[in-house]
Amino acid sequence: MVERDSGAQPERTALAWQRTVLSVTIGSLVLAATGVRMDTHWIAVVAVGIAAAAFLPFVFRAPQGGVPSHGRLHGWWFLVRMVVLVATLGFVGAAAVVASILRG
Amino acid sequence: MDDETDRGRDDDAPVDPDVADGPTERLDPQPVHVPEHTAEHAAQHVRARRPYDVYGVGTDPDYRFSMANERTALAWIRTGLSLVAGGVALTSFATFANLSGVLDVVAGLACLGGASLALWSLVAWRRNERAMRLGEPLPSPTSLPVLVVGVIGFGLGLCVYAFFEAF
Repeated sequence: MVERDSGAQPERTALAWQRTVLSVTIGSLVLAATGVRMDTHWIAVVAVGIAAAAFLPFVFRAPQGGVPSHGRLHGWWFLVRMVVLVATLGFVGAAAVVASILRG
Repeated sequence: MDDETDRGRDDDAPVDPDVADGPTERLDPQPVHVPEHTAEHAAQHVRARRPYDVYGVGTDPDYRFSMANERTALAWIRTGLSLVAGGVALTSFATFANLSGVLDVVAGLACLGGASLALWSLVAWRRNERAMRLGEPLPSPTSLPVLVVGVIGFGLGLCVYAFFEAF
């Protein structure tokens, strides 16, 4: 499906996507563990939700890097989804910090 | 015998094939019709590409450059994510060891900084892709100095904190 290229650009792009998705998944699981440890269960639930939202679509249709000649590029929407997940993770992490401060 | 004489005639008169091509092209319009259809199809796909303010301008660069731009955006997302993960880990340790609230503030700032870095990666991707499509020079990486100063600040701040905790 992806054109061959001596620089293996499609492969490198696909690997970059895999690294990113795995990092988001592991990062949100770390946050979930923190939430469980703090007894703040909504944080754990949201974090597990982020992990699932990052990982499950990736299993069904992995982004492989868009080639413009294919006409349709999904790369932008994959990027937007990843950014939204990471930003949500950051805000929930900040909320966990605030909860930890309030608890004293 | 007839074939040989035909070939001989063709070799003698190289103008003949050109004359023969003219009528066949006019009689058979199908080869013209098919590329037109695929071009229309491709144009529809190109028009469907989003974001339109990026794909609506200029011409497609070498696709390898677009992929490199995509990987750069992904690397920025991972950088933001590692800041978030560092902040979360710091909170976790703070709850384990009952450390002071200073660490919580640092952790919160790291989380928010990582989230903004991830959001900024979309802006940077757009700007780079637009510049490549228009053949303009690439914009400078504006988030790089912010990231460097931020990480150095966090590092120095934590060093100072550790120093005062130890003595």
